[in-house]
Amino acid sequence: MNTSVPLLELRGISKQFPGVKALDDVSFAVYPGEVHMLVGENGAGKSSLMKVLCGAYRADEGEFFHCGEKVEIRSPADARKLGIAVIFQEFSLVPYLSIAQNIFLGREFSGRFPGTVDHARMHAEAKKLLDLLGLDVSTKTLVHELGVAQQQMVEIAKALSQQARILVMDEPTAALSDRETERLFTMIRQLQADGVAIVYISHRMAEVFSMGDRITVLRDGRKVASLLPGEATPDELVHLMVGRSVDRSYARTFCKTAGEMILEVKDLSSANGVKGINLTVRSGEIVGLSGLVGAGRSEVARAIFGADRVTAGEIRLHAAPHRGGPDKAVAAGIALIPESRKAEGLALIRSVCDNLMLPGLPLAFPNRLYKTSKARQIAGALIDRLRISTPSALRPVRLLSGGNQQKVVIGKWLGSGSRLFIIDEPTRGIDVGAKAEIFALIDQLVQQGAGVLMISSELSEIVQVCDRSYVMRDGRIAGHLSREQLSEESILKMGVHHE
Amino acid sequence: MSDTIIAIRPSAFGAGLRRVPGVAWILGLLVVVFALASRDFLSAPNLLNIGLQSVILLMLALPMTLIIMTEGVDISMGAVLTLASVVLAWVLAHEYSLMFALAASLVTGLVFGIVNGMLVALLKMPPFVVTLGTMGIAQGLALLATDGQSIVVSNSTLEAVYAGSWAGIPQTLLIGAAAYAVTHWLLYQTRFGTYVFALGGNPDALKLAGIRANFYLIAVYAFGGLMAGLAALILTSRMSSGHPTAAIGMEFDAIAAVVVGGTSFEHGNGWLFGTLLGVLAVGALRNGLNLLTIPSSVQVSCIGLLVIVALLIDGFKGKR
Repeated sequence: MNTSVPLLELRGISKQFPGVKALDDVSFAVYPGEVHMLVGENGAGKSSLMKVLCGAYRADEGEFFHCGEKVEIRSPADARKLGIAVIFQEFSLVPYLSIAQNIFLGREFSGRFPGTVDHARMHAEAKKLLDLLGLDVSTKTLVHELGVAQQQMVEIAKALSQQARILVMDEPTAALSDRETERLFTMIRQLQADGVAIVYISHRMAEVFSMGDRITVLRDGRKVASLLPGEATPDELVHLMVGRSVDRSYARTFCKTAGEMILEVKDLSSANGVKGINLTVRSGEIVGLSGLVGAGRSEVARAIFGADRVTAGEIRLHAAPHRGGPDKAVAAGIALIPESRKAEGLALIRSVCDNLMLPGLPLAFPNRLYKTSKARQIAGALIDRLRISTPSALRPVRLLSGGNQQKVVIGKWLGSGSRLFIIDEPTRGIDVGAKAEIFALIDQLVQQGAGVLMISSELSEIVQVCDRSYVMRDGRIAGHLSREQLSEESILKMGVHHE
Repeated sequence: MSDTIIAIRPSAFGAGLRRVPGVAWILGLLVVVFALASRDFLSAPNLLNIGLQSVILLMLALPMTLIIMTEGVDISMGAVLTLASVVLAWVLAHEYSLMFALAASLVTGLVFGIVNGMLVALLKMPPFVVTLGTMGIAQGLALLATDGQSIVVSNSTLEAVYAGSWAGIPQTLLIGAAAYAVTHWLLYQTRFGTYVFALGGNPDALKLAGIRANFYLIAVYAFGGLMAGLAALILTSRMSSGHPTAAIGMEFDAIAAVVVGGTSFEHGNGWLFGTLLGVLAVGALRNGLNLLTIPSSVQVSCIGLLVIVALLIDGFKGKR
């Protein structure tokens, strides 16, 4: 910030894809020692800009300047030479290589013979980096054995090992717990002090304002504004991002008197590490399941749904004992909306219509014969009701934005007659505008008498949306918070370790 | 991540057993069964025989492991091996030196490997379809060149390759051991090997690291062709002839050995030593069934069964 010459400057960058102008005359500069926040709705052009920066895409128009000198970025190698390192949300790690091999992928230390790798030196160097990041794992560990947060640390170690001067991070905290996030921020500040320029893409207003030195807003491939954190309030920033004002408080009428008991879990343990879980969900309630990443929240969901083997305890649905796999769970009216919608929630290459119809097929076609016209009609109604923006019901789901995909994932259960919804991280990777719509959708579900168990890493969401919440720690329920007790502080106090 | 250990805990012995890979169980089981069924199975000459017969298979299965790790497959290998053997025999029959004949065989394999690799890497064609095509071409060329007949070679140097021994160890075994050592070195000690893991596990990571991923993918298939060319030397030497259908279908055994050995078709998850054990399991199975005079058609079914049993065992052990 103190220097007048930007470390990297982009002028008039445009990038055209068939049918879409992903970037339209975008200019952008980042100075040494600066954290430059890049915000915008999904599809605003952040990812495209990032890919242009790292050389994965070649800009159709525009110029690059490095320390005031004109340069070209035509390939990942060009970008690396300029000291640009990118940490993508979907990691560029190789599952069956070790941490050290991943850190130095493509830049292996040469061994004694040509083409060989000096493993000893590689592990020693990798160890130094892990120590720096406070990651206490053997450098020989294969990456697929690590959790998401640890994989992220490996990505960062990889960037550091490249002596990166410009570090680009795409939603780095999306998969981290609060404690891990804090560690990441400490590290970012350390890098900043060393003069590294950081381009930081985020959906979280709190970190945009606490970490950012400058904020650039993209919308529909264009730069809408570039400002300092003091120049706007979070609401104004959201307004700039979506071009319309969005009520960020997800106002809903909280449930005063919960209805009949839908789910009752007693002393449940599973083969996947959850122990002695007790919880209830009643009709008309949104019940939170919060805690740090790795506390076992998703595992509870999987155990209830029958995806993991239950080793002890009892599940009662509508007062009747329930046991069995996912098929039984669906038949009994449980819908699980998984954390990774692409991997578990959607058939990506199939159409919106096909995806929406999937769970409701037996109900819509009791005599087992599929009728296209009827399916279209049902799907069309759902699309309108969910306000999914798609040109046609026949569009493959993979072409939709993250928010619209999530609407499909939740919406497809509307037609299935489910009474209990277990929703895991409903807003991961979704922009602010779509978030409010997703919560409105969840609210609709409970209005109709369903019960919802909602898992979220974003404490503010739990606090704003849930009628009450359980807090997990180390595979157990650490406590329960009523609507009145619910706050980010109270959840954190229960969720963290007290040594 | 956490505690599957708890489920395993009944006894430390049990935990140890679970760590033994499926292929080792299979190999052990086959040895016990055949040792009980046939008195000759465990005799020294027969064990040596299994080793000798397994070398050619090993030389196909080693590169096949690397190819499968890249989420590919090469079903042309048996046909390419056959063609290379025919070429080698033809060159020798025309009174050229063995060195020249070997070079011709290696070039034959290499050309097919590079073509396979280029079609897969550059034109992004599915490996199964590409190598199905080249399999047909190689097979056809072998038949065309020989008119369907064997090319018989009487060349003492050639015969010495298979029959000869060095310091009391049969040369064929030494060639097999060398092939294993070289492949092991390539996979675990070189950049090339690291990139093989990445080609299957996350090719984008490789490209973003500025590595010419296509070059290495072609190299993997080229290595397969080269090994098939080298295996042709042993095959031709063993039969003292080049026969147009000698090794047709051997890719089936090779893929079976790789899969039995624990290499997965996904995520670049490969294990070379497992392939060695897998080759021995297939070799022991074929040999044992031969001793029990079970026809070779039934043997193929047995190998198919072996693959499924191996996957079942790994499945039961809760491999993730």
